[in-house]
Amino acid sequence: MTKRSLHLRDIILLALIGIIFGVIYFAAGFVYNGLTILLTPIGYGPMANDLTMGIWCMAGPLAGFLLKTPGAAFLGEFLGAAIEMFLGDQWGAANLISGAVQGIGAELGFTFTLYRMYNWLTLLISSLTLTFITFGWDWFRNGYNHFSGQMLTIMLIARFVSMFVFSGILVKLIANLLQRAHLIKQ
Amino acid sequence: MNPSLKLFLVIFLSLELTFITKLWVNLIVIIICLIILMHYRFHWRQFCWLVFVPLFPALAIFITIVLFSPGHSLFDGTVLFSRLYVYVCLGTVFTFTTNTLTLARSLEQNCHLPSKYAYGVLAALNLIPKMKQAVTTIYTAGHMRGVNLHWWSPTLYFKAILVAIQWSDQLAQAMESHGFVEGQARTITVKIPITTRDWVYFSSILILIQIIVIALP
Repeated sequence: MTKRSLHLRDIILLALIGIIFGVIYFAAGFVYNGLTILLTPIGYGPMANDLTMGIWCMAGPLAGFLLKTPGAAFLGEFLGAAIEMFLGDQWGAANLISGAVQGIGAELGFTFTLYRMYNWLTLLISSLTLTFITFGWDWFRNGYNHFSGQMLTIMLIARFVSMFVFSGILVKLIANLLQRAHLIKQ
Repeated sequence: MNPSLKLFLVIFLSLELTFITKLWVNLIVIIICLIILMHYRFHWRQFCWLVFVPLFPALAIFITIVLFSPGHSLFDGTVLFSRLYVYVCLGTVFTFTTNTLTLARSLEQNCHLPSKYAYGVLAALNLIPKMKQAVTTIYTAGHMRGVNLHWWSPTLYFKAILVAIQWSDQLAQAMESHGFVEGQARTITVKIPITTRDWVYFSSILILIQIIVIALP
């Protein structure tokens, strides 16, 4: 296990990655609103949240892969959320709490592999922990406890798929590019 | 009010109202936030933005709960609708009335956050406009070569991260060459105190909200 702590450079880098995702997400915000408008008439409006959840959680796993240090995934995700609040997005102050929740979810994936493995399995585990932990938080925040069991199951599956596609596959593709450019520490 | 206390208050209120299904407290918090924003000369265009931003998700949750959930509860729907506005209003009040430099100083002095976090994040925050510019440049450079980069293209993120790595190296070097040493005791240029008045404001707002939560439905 690497006993490296985060230094000034890493912290600036994590915050900058948070900004990158914040800026790009902001452009992708219409996806969320579009899906909401499409899904609301059939009674699945909040599912837009589950379908896009993976997009909001990309910063954490990517930071974990890039720095390979305990705490990097959490901090990357949390700073990303905090910066989104400063950029002024839909969730305001709750962003800080969501960011912390998502950060824990992302970090757990790396904790379970003891910060030693950085491959598909890590991403699969971190997608799973992210899915369950963020779903638990939405249970309270977005009133998921009011919905029927069938709807919840569908939304949970939708969330995992989204999480795996964006925070798994897309993050892995970005990490592969970084790997080829020799930017990830071995 | 002291920025750290204000941040704590905003997070605490958001967290508390997440776990409480009460309508009046949401409405009162929203109104108080709007009054504070008016007091700080919030522009009417920013008000429109504030109303518009949470509208779609809030409506979606409202419609789904009222029309499609097993309970069909109008009350729960309204609570969740207003809750999103509570989040956004609290967030806006905080970001609009707080200077990030003061916040960083306050977190360092009052909450004893290690200075590398306080100033590292602050340094990055100041790069937001430049980062926006850099992302636009990447998009445009792609267009010039006939490559359309979408928000789901790995290349877009890869190129932006290259920029971030370079900038973070340069910034960290610049800060260190100006005498910033991690973990070393620092002198304070501007002292951010927590005054008795801050504590009085803080605790009275907190108590007032608890009374409203208990007293009103």
